[in-house]
Amino acid sequence: MRVLIAEDETLIRLDLRAMLVAAGFEVCAEAKTGQEAVDLAAQVRPDVAILDVKMPVLDGIEAARRILAEQPTPIVIVSAYGEEELVRRAVEAGVFGYLTKPFREGDLGPAIRTACARHDDLVALREETDTLAEALAARKAIERAKGLLMAKEGLTEQEAFGRLRSASQTSGRSMRVIAEAITATLG
Amino acid sequence: MNERDDTRLRVLIAEDETIIRADLRGLLEDNGMAVCGEARSGREAVDLAHALQPDVAILDIRMPDLDGIEVCRRIYAERPIPVIMLTAFAERSLVDRALAAGAFTYLVKPFRETDVIPAVRAAAKRHAELLEARRWVGKSAQTISVGVPSQGGYVWPVDLHRHADGTVSVSVVPDRTESVG
Repeated sequence: MRVLIAEDETLIRLDLRAMLVAAGFEVCAEAKTGQEAVDLAAQVRPDVAILDVKMPVLDGIEAARRILAEQPTPIVIVSAYGEEELVRRAVEAGVFGYLTKPFREGDLGPAIRTACARHDDLVALREETDTLAEALAARKAIERAKGLLMAKEGLTEQEAFGRLRSASQTSGRSMRVIAEAITATLG
Repeated sequence: MNERDDTRLRVLIAEDETIIRADLRGLLEDNGMAVCGEARSGREAVDLAHALQPDVAILDIRMPDLDGIEVCRRIYAERPIPVIMLTAFAERSLVDRALAAGAFTYLVKPFRETDVIPAVRAAAKRHAELLEARRWVGKSAQTISVGVPSQGGYVWPVDLHRHADGTVSVSVVPDRTESVG
């Protein structure tokens, strides 16, 4: 499992790296600021990111938000602070784990493995909902356009569907795009 | 106290050691959560989860009569809620078993307030998202129609039937097939 770590204090970063390696993880990138974490995450696409909260340029929570906006990644926050406000911000940002320093090597493995497992569940479900949502939206758009063609152009259902289909073939655009264009024109 | 959250999280604790149980209750309540039940054994935890319908469960792994992982499996099978496992052991095999049983996260004892509270909050929020996504997928179960490109560049309207067991079967809508044939 490839881990990105972001921690501005060199000693703690080295310590974190050593703990991760000992626990069987590969550290694929090390960031010293929040912005660097965001950039590295986009470059190396880690399996999981561990972000310190207090970092220069961009704090770990804002970095988490930006990384998540870019690509779904399981994120575990590490922080010397456990204040409610910070925890709330981190949870709102979408993190799966929050470890308070000093933590033990034994805390890291379970936190990372559980974060990854549940994150993967969520991503799989989201992909499925996206596919379903897309299919349903396409179907609705096609039905609407077909209805409009039948009403306004006096076509039969087959003819209306045939019109949509051939427009899609000639233009190389999806049936949904064609349907939406027809609805925008006729509707 | 966390008065901003409109609903207080109701937490079930299962832990056979009285001192740890009292400690957990104290720190949860100090952070604005409600401890709706305390179980001293695995079976009691399963019964209380059924009776009280908590929002979150914190389960010790080693308990008399039924271990926490089995308790997690039974609670999760009846009603999925975020479950946090507590244990003195961090072995990977145990973590994997807990995950397979449906546990959301895993904390190693001895724990501090600053370990438990963020874990509960993150688990509650992320699990809610997970349930929401599952509900959505479940709702659009039955049948949906999609356009499938066929040989020759036609798009065939196809109905996908999703069954309760998660399998998918496909059928071509007959009257429309003629229209594209």
